[in-house]
This record gives sequence, C-alpha cells and structure tokens, in this order.
Amino acid sequence: MKRQLFRFRAVIMLVVLFLLPSLSMAQNSDTSRTLFSQDLARLRAQEVVPMVDKVKVEGPIRRSQRLHATELSIKDAKTTYFLLDSPIIKAQEDHYAPVRFNHGQHAASSGDCSVCHHLRPVDNSSYSNHPETVRCSACHQQSFHPDYPERLGLKAAYHQNCIPCHKKQNAGPLTCRGCHLNNVPEHKQLVKLPEKPDPLQVTAECLRCHEDDANDLLHTAHWRWRGASLYTQDQSRQVDHGKGTTALNND
Amino acid sequence: MCHDTTGTYKKAPTKAGWPDKGVDLKDVAEKVGHSSRRSCGRCHFNGGGGDAIKHADLAGNLLKPDPNCDIHMGGLDFSCTQCHTTMRHRIAGSSSSVAAVEGVVRCADCHSDRPHLGNSLLDHHLNMHCSTIDCNTCHSPVYAKCSPTKIWWDWSKAGDKNRKPKMIKLGNSKALPDYHVKKGEFKWGRAVKPDYAWFNGKTKRIILGDSVDMRADVIQLTSPVGLRADPSARITPFKIMKGMQAFDARHHTLLIPHLFPRDSKDTTAYWKNYDWDKSFADGMQAAKLPYSGEWQWKETWTYWRVEHEVMPASMALSCVQCHSSLGEEKTCNRCHQDNRHINFKELAHKTTDFTFLKDKRDDVEQLQHSSDYIDFKALGYKGDPIIYGGRFKKLPLGALPQG
Repeated sequence: MKRQLFRFRAVIMLVVLFLLPSLSMAQNSDTSRTLFSQDLARLRAQEVVPMVDKVKVEGPIRRSQRLHATELSIKDAKTTYFLLDSPIIKAQEDHYAPVRFNHGQHAASSGDCSVCHHLRPVDNSSYSNHPETVRCSACHQQSFHPDYPERLGLKAAYHQNCIPCHKKQNAGPLTCRGCHLNNVPEHKQLVKLPEKPDPLQVTAECLRCHEDDANDLLHTAHWRWRGASLYTQDQSRQVDHGKGTTALNND
Repeated sequence: MCHDTTGTYKKAPTKAGWPDKGVDLKDVAEKVGHSSRRSCGRCHFNGGGGDAIKHADLAGNLLKPDPNCDIHMGGLDFSCTQCHTTMRHRIAGSSSSVAAVEGVVRCADCHSDRPHLGNSLLDHHLNMHCSTIDCNTCHSPVYAKCSPTKIWWDWSKAGDKNRKPKMIKLGNSKALPDYHVKKGEFKWGRAVKPDYAWFNGKTKRIILGDSVDMRADVIQLTSPVGLRADPSARITPFKIMKGMQAFDARHHTLLIPHLFPRDSKDTTAYWKNYDWDKSFADGMQAAKLPYSGEWQWKETWTYWRVEHEVMPASMALSCVQCHSSLGEEKTCNRCHQDNRHINFKELAHKTTDFTFLKDKRDDVEQLQHSSDYIDFKALGYKGDPIIYGGRFKKLPLGALPQG
C-alpha cells in the first residue's frame, strides 16, 4: 500500500512539474486543444492511481436513485474524451493501440452514471473529480490481485462492462477491431528480400504470409475500381459502376 | 502504397501503376504498417490532379492539421480508418463522386442520433435539427478553409500557348495560376460558403455513354437526390465543382479526351498535339463509344458533399445565422412560456466567431453577419422555417406571419 501511495505521489509530482505548465500554455494558445487534445488524453492514460481499499456496499437500484438525487450529470464531467491505454494492462501484454473512448457520448446516452460507475469508494479521498465516479482503474487493476480476489482485473472489467452493453444496445463497435487497432509487428526480421528487389519479388514476399488478405483485396473497389452502386439513383442493384468502368471525370 | 509508413513509395506517372525506380522497396517492405492519412492521402488528397483540386475538404494540410481546420484529424489525430472502418479490406464510405460503395460512414456512428449532450432545452432543439439537417451544415460552415480548392475549370479555353497565367492569392495561401495551357481556365476558392441541398443519401449520376439534355443551361453530372417533403432527406452542404466540358453535338454524350501521350510518336494526345478533334476521336474509340466529329462546350456541375473539415463545436453556426426571425425576438415566448431567466441574446443572437478565417478569405465580416446562411428559399421555403415551415402553425403556437 505504501509503495503504491509513493508511486501515486511520484506521478502527481511529475504532473505538477512538467505537465501543468504545458497545460496552461495550451489553454492560452487554443481553447479547443485544452478540451479535446489528444496529447492531454495520452498523458491521462498513463496515470496510475492508488487502489481503492474499501467500496461502499450499495445495491444497484439504490445507487442509481442516489446518483440521480445528487444531480450529477454530463455537465460535471471535466473531460469528455479519454484514451484507454493503462500501464496496468500494458505491464501484462501490449498488443493494441490505445482505445478511444468518448466519455461524454456514453454518459449522455446512458443518462445514468451508475450504469458504469457501479460502486464507489467508502471514503471521499481524491480519487477523481467526484468520489461517486472514480475511474475504472481505481478499483480494477491487476487481475487475481491477492488482496482483492473478488475484483476483476482492469482488462476484464473493461470487457465485461463494454461488450455486453454494446451487444444489448446494438450500438457502437461490435467487433474486437472496432475498438482495438492491433500493433503491427516489426517486419525487419520477418521480411526476407534481396537488396534492390523487383516489385514482383516484393509482392510475392508479402503474399508468403498474407495470401488471405491479398485474396480479400482482389474483391474490393480499391482493386477493381468498380463495385456495388447502392446509393446511385436507378442503379442501386448494379455492381459494376466505378472509375474503372463508367465514372465520368470523377477522381 | 497503402501500407507504406516511410512516405517514400511512389508510382512512376508513365508506368501504369508500377513503382518509381528510385524507391527503396526493401526498406518500404521492412517498415510496413497500418494505413495512415499520408498513405490514403497520396491518392485522395490529389483528386483532379493536385492538392485539394476537386475534394474541397481533403488536402495535404490534413497531414498535420490545425484543429480548427479539422477537429478529428487535427485535434484528435484520427487516421482515415478510424471512421472509414474496414472489413477484409473493404473500406466503408459513400462518396459523392464515385458510385462504388462498400459501407457508409455516418457522424452518428460515434456521435449517435442525439449528439448534443446534456439535458437543456437548447440541446433538445439542436437534437431535433438532426433529423432534418446534416451535421456539417452547422459544423463545417465553410469548405476548403485551409487549402484553396478549384471551383471552376473551363476546358474550352485550353490550348492558348500565348496566354500567361495570372497568379491568384487567397488570404495567406500560396499563389495559384488561373490558367494552364493543357487544362484551360480555373477559378479557386478558399473558406467558401457551401451550397445547400436536400439529400437523402442517393446521388443521381450521368454515367459513361449516357446522353444528356443539351437544351439545359447546365448539365449536372452528379447531383444529390432529395426533396423537402422526403422524410429521409436532410439539408446537406456541398461544394459544386463547375466547369466547361465538351459533349458530342449529335449523340449528346460527354466526350472522353485522350490527354496523356502514350509515347513520343503519339499524334492524338491533347497534351502533345493540342487538337481536340483527334483527342476526342481517340478517347471515344478507347471508351468504345460513337463520336460524330462535332462537339459543343457545355457548363457542367458536379456536387461534392462536404464531409470532412469538421470544426470545433464553438465554431458551429449559431441560431440567428440561419433563423433571421430570431433577430427580431426578445424571448422564447413564440413557443414557450415567457421566461426572463434565459439569456436570449447570448443564446440566439450571438453570431459565430469566424475570426479564425480572417487570413483565409477577405470578407469574413460579411460571412459572420450574414443571416439566412443556408438560403431557405433555395431549399423550398418561403423564408425562415420558424415562420414559414408549417410545423408551428399546426399547433396553436406563436404569432402567424403578417399578411
């Protein structure tokens, strides 16, 4: 616990020393950047907060009612855009680019903070702007934590919260790739080519591993320069219009 | 090309798709990665033969965009595939210019059909607008704000070897020529107010070999489908690319010229021989279409939907910029109980702050203070829909128009 607190303090010190001056500069130069900046989201994603020790025991209906009574709303959310890229998960595995998360849209469309913020810490210490709505990683950190065996790890917590809801609502990304862009492995060792290869040698080398992708590509509009014209009046059942066939001066 | 991360891969212009000899293909292959704005933009930023020529809202500035030019790519560093999602190399996105489509991208995919967050009455009104107005009508009130785009291209003027191009400067952009001997006469636009039309997602297209009505003043090669009475149509912003092109005087088809010389012996290519007749004869033969030998220049329009270059929310059009009738009101009492607690001036009378555009076009003031921004008469209304739209009259609400 002490070690974690120390780590938290170190992070805070870093934020104060390096990030706050740049924040205020950003504020002066461009307000839209302060609200939306990718850079700010990146910085926030790297923070690790101390783990909440005790959560308040409260049923979901009671909690929902109580949160409504506090009139907590989207207007209280200081930041509406997050990147999910926690070092807690990255310590275990690092396969994907950060997940973009539009917190404002989720808060507005659910209209009930307790849908995701399903529990709160017992005490009011400063885990977040508002103790009712601490970040996921305040309670969910490494999986199979010996001190908190009942809690899901952060990765499982995200997945168990996001996936069933997206399925139920039939909204937002519904596939893995919809949220997760995979990291491309370093190809320097994988690609085996002579010096100054000719173009066909390069294609053959790509196909050595990616033949399925190449076959997919052969059926696309980008390869064939034609395709289904679903949204062209009186041509919605045609499959052969495009730059390669019938388009007129349309680049 | 698509998965190059080095930025060094390029095609040789005369080699029909083969890479340029100077490209280090081994290096490109070893550094392969995801597509990016740079790799997609290599083609899509250059539609029409150069930066931002035809696509008003796609240009090289999107490699490192100012967030005010495009909040998604500039503020949040979106790559193209963030919205144009892919499935087995099929890429979603329905373009105004090309018929082939592999999926549709809508703002609502991320922002939902109720994108104005919050529970206030203003949010409610703005969300109501979403069923009749495309997001970019308010959120991208000018197009080509950060790179000038070609808005007029007169092919009939090409071939005058003595004409010296005049250089045009729009705001702080680099100077652009108004003439090219191979291509004809141009006009450029920057931070242009779009044209607005009802659009239900379908496009009417003249396709290769279609004969057109030569009596029309303007031949619309692509145009949006939609009517005010069509419940699926929304008021949508477009750039209209205008120009002069040649049509076969007898068959009434758009003529395809042969432009780029095949080799040094080529005697028909326009860009070598400057003879339209030979160029059309060759081009139409290649397209397997008849050519009568006579041609006529006609004005053509193509509609290009303004889809990108979404500005930060603070720069969206304000209420009074379209609804001029609000300028005469002092409270919301046309429809609501008179509530003096609302700062009506701040809510409805404030105009959008376009100062960001001041080095981009000369008459920003005029843009800023224009009322009836989207031209309701052209969209089928007698005037401001608050007065003339009809919905409020069906309920016993508010004052009826005078006379």
